[in-house]
Amino acid sequence: MSRLQADHLYKVFGRRPDEAVRRLAVGDTDREELRAEGTTAAVVDAGFTVEPGQIFVVMGLSGSGKSTLLRMLNGLLEPTAGRVLFDGRDLTALSPRDLRAVRSTKISMVFQHFALFPHRNVLENAGYGLEVQGVPRAERETRAAEALELCGLAGWEKSWPDELSGGMQQRVGLARALATDADLLLMDESFSALDPLIRRDMQDQLLVLQQRLKKTIVFITHDLNEAMRLGDRIAVMRDGRIVQLGTAEDILVRPADDYVASFIQDVDRSRVLTASAVMAEGATPADCPADCACEAVGPDTLVADLCAVAARAPHPVTVADSDGAVLGVVPTERLLAVMGGLGATEADLAPEAGYAAAKAPKLPPAPRPPAAPQAPEPPGEPRAVPAAKDAEEVTARA
Amino acid sequence: MPRLPLGEWVDSSVDWLQAQFSWLFDAVSTGVTGLYDGIDTVLSAPQPLLFAGILAVVAWWLRGLAAGVMAFAGFALVDAVQLWDEAMATLSLVLVATLVTLVIAVPLGIWAARSKTVSAVLRPVLDFMQTMPAMVYLIPGIIFFGVGVVPGIIATIVFALPPGVRMTELGIRQVDGELVEAAEAFGTTPRNTLLRVQLPLALPTIMAGVNQVIMLGLSMVVIAGMVGGGGLGGAVYRAIGNVDIGLGFEAGVSIVVLAMYLDRMTGALGRQVSPLGRRAAAKARAALSAKRPGAKLWAHRPQPVTALVGVVVLALVAGGSGLLGSGGAGSATASGAKGGNGKKISIGYIPWDEGIASTYLWKELLERRGYEVDTKQLEAGALYTGLAGGQLDFQTDAWLPVTHAQYWEKYRNKLEDLGSWYGPTSLELSVPSYVKGVDSLADLKGKAGQFKGRIVGIEPSAGMMGILKDKVLKEYGLEGEYEVVDGSTPGMLAELKRAYERKEPVVVTLWSPHWAYAAHDLKKLDDPKGSWGKGDGVHTLARKGFAGENPEVGTWLKNFELTEKQLTDLEAVIQKTGKGKEQQAVRTWLDSNPGLADKLAPQ
Repeated sequence: MSRLQADHLYKVFGRRPDEAVRRLAVGDTDREELRAEGTTAAVVDAGFTVEPGQIFVVMGLSGSGKSTLLRMLNGLLEPTAGRVLFDGRDLTALSPRDLRAVRSTKISMVFQHFALFPHRNVLENAGYGLEVQGVPRAERETRAAEALELCGLAGWEKSWPDELSGGMQQRVGLARALATDADLLLMDESFSALDPLIRRDMQDQLLVLQQRLKKTIVFITHDLNEAMRLGDRIAVMRDGRIVQLGTAEDILVRPADDYVASFIQDVDRSRVLTASAVMAEGATPADCPADCACEAVGPDTLVADLCAVAARAPHPVTVADSDGAVLGVVPTERLLAVMGGLGATEADLAPEAGYAAAKAPKLPPAPRPPAAPQAPEPPGEPRAVPAAKDAEEVTARA
Repeated sequence: MPRLPLGEWVDSSVDWLQAQFSWLFDAVSTGVTGLYDGIDTVLSAPQPLLFAGILAVVAWWLRGLAAGVMAFAGFALVDAVQLWDEAMATLSLVLVATLVTLVIAVPLGIWAARSKTVSAVLRPVLDFMQTMPAMVYLIPGIIFFGVGVVPGIIATIVFALPPGVRMTELGIRQVDGELVEAAEAFGTTPRNTLLRVQLPLALPTIMAGVNQVIMLGLSMVVIAGMVGGGGLGGAVYRAIGNVDIGLGFEAGVSIVVLAMYLDRMTGALGRQVSPLGRRAAAKARAALSAKRPGAKLWAHRPQPVTALVGVVVLALVAGGSGLLGSGGAGSATASGAKGGNGKKISIGYIPWDEGIASTYLWKELLERRGYEVDTKQLEAGALYTGLAGGQLDFQTDAWLPVTHAQYWEKYRNKLEDLGSWYGPTSLELSVPSYVKGVDSLADLKGKAGQFKGRIVGIEPSAGMMGILKDKVLKEYGLEGEYEVVDGSTPGMLAELKRAYERKEPVVVTLWSPHWAYAAHDLKKLDDPKGSWGKGDGVHTLARKGFAGENPEVGTWLKNFELTEKQLTDLEAVIQKTGKGKEQQAVRTWLDSNPGLADKLAPQ
């Protein structure tokens, strides 16, 4: 059973919302028409499932309805139509009291601007959820301190929120959410207010924590890079609707429409795509002698890392599984095509029709984040050197 | 446009309300009076300087040593100008009003913050309450609640409620929505969201509201003084009535001392009780001591425990001495008890000289005969309303049939005229005697230039102003030449004083008897045509049924009479003895007129 299921969710603000839902459901009207009538359809027919232990990212620009969607998942907003099933229980059918009980024990939330209580110190903030549950003080403080330590804030218990930097404040927010031991974590643009370096740091920390805690997380962001970095599955929202639902690779490789395609331009594909997505069929290249010093890569190796390997190898790089069986090869041309924004599955550099290809030459250089520990990382893999830079050099020489 | 009888509707609804809900108003009145008496008893029990010490320790604890010293100096000053009891009465009034206001305002504010409808309905109501001139609802207040502190407190509450409600609503509304959402997201009940998140965070704003409530309450004490609220407001009101600049200033400064103390203390208390405020204060202190180590001494604040011990010790000492003091007072009254058997009689008076003199004369006489007498100083309208409502037993300063005609018309069915004790009085225009060649009203003609074309008048509602404008000016052909300046009695007297000192010509509306004739050398302008009409008599009025219930007192009052010499003598003794010692002056005067007491109130 999936942990969380959203079933044809609608949220309409304004007059006669039920009427609006009925018209939207049969395709009788659209969002613009409703807006002209003074009714706002914030979320239209959203449906998805989230499996236990998954990070599910909802990506969209402001006004796309993603925050409204998130607030329906824990009942802060009541859906106009549709159901939210949490562990098989229909949250929309619960009484306010039962809903509060679910929120205090099973679902917690991390906010964009941290939402720390300024009149409570760090420990009291982290223990807030437990206080609501009625956990006795001693146990509450122990568990809150544990959560803080988990988030790297040991020793800051007696500080006040206004004494902490943004990143540290959000760690408190995360600790508060983790302290209740909820199964589901809702994160509303939780890292958007942080500066880029701290943001990346927090993303890493979240991934590390997730490896350990295996929570189910719904993460809202407007940053596709962040979505792809964190998300096991991603829903792209536009104008209240989910326009594409899939893995990072699905979205990057097969964008559902021009809107999604225009988004992925800015994505650092080298950090999303893996060797298995770009390799061509084939055995070990002919110009690779048995005693060749070249390295083989695993199918999950990120393209960023693959570029570094390719730069050192005199011939296409071999992709092999952990048993050493060759899965395919990656010729340098193919790597360049992928980095250039062309569809990776169309192997032969054929000029591709469509939005992405047309825009390809004007691609801005990929963002250059500092090399930081990548999270879910098979141990013993060759570690990335400044990958994006290498990729650029390769492109230049070609 | 036809005349909309809005006023009549209000009139009849006031009557209806009084008839239907008198039990409710009585209950409110009893409750508020009880609260006021309780607080006032506690506050005025200790020795003034000891209580000043307690207040100073509180200031020291809340704000630091400098504040403590200043507080002590301020309250010592109040005691030094002998306005301590008045100040404590005012403090009690403000505290009761603030307490009741907050009990109403905070829940209303919370409700308004949670509901847009409530907020939308409340806003115009609050505007109405805040901007409606207090005098407009003071008189209905007296009809409902009777004279004394209650209408003053009610008026203060009505006036001070809006900022309390508004600041509470604002405070709660401006709590970051994300914080409220966070509380909800963790399953907090609405009640706990309010108690644990919204109220603590709104507290600084709410405390700013409390501060405003107290300040507005203090600004209302003078108006409360006009309806028998007593205290510093009464002193100010009396000072205005008598153009007693000195007393006015002393009472004013005492109000300022109270206001500053309450303002600073509620401000500091706001920082102490709100977690955010404590946090900010701790930061500020750390920054200050880092910057100027020398500032520490004056900013030093004792630990709450030390402060509490100090207050308790002083309070115990104060309580002990207060007990002794009240014991002494008790024995003094006991020795005086005779025929009246402690029966309570309430006298109201307008702070005019003949009113004060006759009221305190009767207070002394009745107390000698064993009655327990309570005097209340009131504005004329309030006095009549109180008398008609039965909260007062009698008053001795009714100018009938002319000057107080409108009050008599309104309440004649509820009042009993015990006859005139002095008269006749007269209305006149007067000029300083240094103005030569003007001896009669007819002489004013053609001299407008000399007097800048003005006759300095009093309240436009006063009976004599109507007579002056409609009759006197017309009959002497002064219409058009002179403009009658509407104003107030204190304003007229101040203008007279100013002109008199500069020896400028001035013509004012005046009446006899009036102390101005003793204070200045004035000339009453002759009225050969008799335009002013016959003079008034100064009557004693009692509430209906008073004389029947108290035949002895009724007879005394009916037979009461003073000659002009007696009245002026008594007034002069009172002036000489000084404010606040009227009764002592009466005793002195009675001693110098042996047998008079027995003549006025034969045993």
